[in-house]
Amino acid sequence: MGVCHDCLVEVDGRPNERACTLKVDRPITVGREAAGRVASAVGRRDPAGPAAVEEPGRGPIRIGEIPVERPDVLVVGAGPGGLAAAHAARLAGPKVLVLDEGSAPGGQYFKQCSAQDIAPPDDQHLEGRRLIDDVLDSGVTVLPNALVWGAFPPLEFAATISGSTVRVQPRAAIVATGAYDRGWPVPGWTLPGVMTTGAAQSLWRTARRLPGKRVLIAGNGPLNLQLAAELVAAGADVVAVVEAAPAVGVRRVRETLAMLRTAPGLVAEGVRYLSRCRKGGVRMMNGSVLTSVRRHSGGLLSTVEGREAAELESDVVCLGYGFHPSNELLRAIGCAHAFDPGQRRLVTVRDARGATSVAGVWALGDCTSLGGARVGLAEGTLAGSAAARALGRPLSTACARMEARAEAAAARHHRFQRALWRMYRMDESLLPRPTGDTVICRCEEVSYGQVEEVLAEGAALPGEVKRRTRIGMGRCQARYCGPELEALLAERTGRPTDEYSGFAPRVPVKPVPIADLASPMGG
Amino acid sequence: MPGHALPRDIETVVVGGGILGLCVAGFLAEEDREVAVIDAGLPEGTTTNAGSLHVQMQSRFMRLYPDQVPALESSLHLYPKAVDFWLELERHLGADFGIEVSGGLMVAETREQLDFLARKAERERALGVDARILERSDLEQVAPYLGPAVLGGEMCAHEGRVDPLKANAALRDWARGAGVAFLDETHVDRVNRDGKRFELHTPLGATSAASVVIAAAARSRILAEGLGVRLSAEAEPLHVNITEPADPFIGHLVQHADRMITIKQLSSGHVVIGGGWPAELTHAGRHVAVRLASVIGNTSLAQHIVPAMGPLRIIRTWGGINTTTDGVGILGPIDGAPGAFVAIPGDAGYTLGPLSARLVADAVLGRRPAEDLTPFSPNRFR
Repeated sequence: MGVCHDCLVEVDGRPNERACTLKVDRPITVGREAAGRVASAVGRRDPAGPAAVEEPGRGPIRIGEIPVERPDVLVVGAGPGGLAAAHAARLAGPKVLVLDEGSAPGGQYFKQCSAQDIAPPDDQHLEGRRLIDDVLDSGVTVLPNALVWGAFPPLEFAATISGSTVRVQPRAAIVATGAYDRGWPVPGWTLPGVMTTGAAQSLWRTARRLPGKRVLIAGNGPLNLQLAAELVAAGADVVAVVEAAPAVGVRRVRETLAMLRTAPGLVAEGVRYLSRCRKGGVRMMNGSVLTSVRRHSGGLLSTVEGREAAELESDVVCLGYGFHPSNELLRAIGCAHAFDPGQRRLVTVRDARGATSVAGVWALGDCTSLGGARVGLAEGTLAGSAAARALGRPLSTACARMEARAEAAAARHHRFQRALWRMYRMDESLLPRPTGDTVICRCEEVSYGQVEEVLAEGAALPGEVKRRTRIGMGRCQARYCGPELEALLAERTGRPTDEYSGFAPRVPVKPVPIADLASPMGG
Repeated sequence: MPGHALPRDIETVVVGGGILGLCVAGFLAEEDREVAVIDAGLPEGTTTNAGSLHVQMQSRFMRLYPDQVPALESSLHLYPKAVDFWLELERHLGADFGIEVSGGLMVAETREQLDFLARKAERERALGVDARILERSDLEQVAPYLGPAVLGGEMCAHEGRVDPLKANAALRDWARGAGVAFLDETHVDRVNRDGKRFELHTPLGATSAASVVIAAAARSRILAEGLGVRLSAEAEPLHVNITEPADPFIGHLVQHADRMITIKQLSSGHVVIGGGWPAELTHAGRHVAVRLASVIGNTSLAQHIVPAMGPLRIIRTWGGINTTTDGVGILGPIDGAPGAFVAIPGDAGYTLGPLSARLVADAVLGRRPAEDLTPFSPNRFR
């Protein structure tokens, strides 16, 4: 959610607002944009209109007018890992600033409720609330609505906070920017009504809204099961859960035991989700994937293939085929990355405490490789402690004990994750097989066929394919199409994938309004 | 892999696949010459262009390189011709380059700046450029998107923009169709004379050519050294910002009399903000990194000139490489190395690219170029 920018609307005259991440805290007027891509308010010559008109007398600004914040530690991202890192660092003494793009700290896992009338909060909400309170009580400054959009060597970050810009030059930086849902480029994957599992979960867990009445969930991994259980309990008709991995059978004893040993609570949770789905009569289809979606009599008709084959009708399709790490800031500042063929993604090169190849930058959790919230929490404590120590702050006995516990927890949860993903390993033959018409770049509406044409003419570098087709040039900044194109090029050219084989990292890592860039914070 | 065999004993090798190299190769191939283009593809690709069509003298250039202004003035007559040539080439290919020649506006915020523009316009008119001064009241009719800070400006009718993505792709298709062979992602390390032929050394081995066109921007300096000239050509990495697409509302190529800015809206709706703010070459010249100061200063200035751009989001920034010479292009044969040619355009290289390529191609073909190449000769650097 928040990545594709396909839901742009005009809000109170402001063009290009993402409906999916818009927090409605007062009455607003929403207008639909033609094709969702044109800023209709721009260029309007109505002086009373909404377009930002510069106050007379104020000229353009220079970099020197942007205020500089110099915290001891900057933490980017207030998910479980970022919060844990901030807490651990702060307990050791340094001044800690946490910046997070969301409207409330908590990130995607703790998903703090956005409306007051949501009751009751679940265990995950409550755990998040406790951690946030701990962080705030320890004296950490946490700023929501703060988008860190740039990272510059040697150690500088640029952020817009509630519409104005600030530079942050910390002594140490901890990047905990999480992950975003991977695209599943099959015919129809960009149709209205097709969303990610993460998006449907955000709707439910932050605003108690169902994505639709009849919901089909397809993907790979336990999050899909959790969503199914939550939606069933909420009264939705979950048509089926289509899981790419084979069903858990006798052959999985080793993994099951490893998971029971490392995180029995999580296993119990998984079993609860499963039984809730079974009781709700949800059809479980293992070893199968969604291969296409099309519009059908007011709803969607999905084709499922694999061990089981079916055509399924629903109002909404939720796709949860894993995540990509949000490593944009790490790459922009120059942290080394290596390609992990098993995960089919770049992972950040780090030491056991999260230190990256760039002096003063630590990284943890899902933005480095994937491990989930428990790994993030443990790695956060380790990175926060390491950063504090690097700043010359010795850890108290209590902090050192916390660090030791985190070390054990990180090892345990990494073992759990390895067993979990062995269990959820999907057969590579089930990966999407796009047709020529299938959209690869949803922002610029580039099809696989167009990319193939350019490849046939000899293009072998992503930049060249980009300049010839416009792939990756849209608002999502190649988050969906970039990894797909990289894999395609690797397959065709036989070249290894590495940190240089894809699109070069570019700032801003998310679109930023010019008006925000031109407004110094406090100015 | 396609495009990765080193051609042997080619008639003509063009080093560099930017706008100059592409066009020279295409023009030669159209005359049935056997041509190969060897292109390093780095940094960031050699066809990373912003797409302005410049004609009037850029105030940035005049401020940064005052000693080169006379040289620039001496070649000013080429600029309107170069824009016409872009249109001619588009017709010749039957392609869509997304060209719009709707005029360029250099704006002034003070009376002093406007006086400077008035003097500049007078000189430019004398050199055949259609330039006139507009007061604020005129601008409100012609360019209602300009903000209250703008007092007046110089309108140059020949200016406009190309969609570089469309144009470069179409030019490459045309060159390939005419028979040009492309060897991409390959550096030429040096060029030697070998009897009457030339030997080109690459990491894939050496190849030999009867004639060679060095169109490798700043790298041409090293390559031409082996042929006896010491060119003045420097890489100048420059910052560019791209906004999300918007309804068409900026109808001109906008510049400033005293500040570094260019603003233009492409046919795709994206607004390109540039104007010469610095970027940085990194990784031994293989990559271009952007600077925070350029993101802030450049976009803030854009909003100052065109306030309605405020809500538009920047979705991408990048650095492109400009090539500075001594103020004019370096075009034509190298004396003492028959068969060797240089093709580097002067300031505003993309604008001048196709026409400069035509002139060099004619020289290679043994024809009399439509312009006297003497002032552009590489031999001035001996």
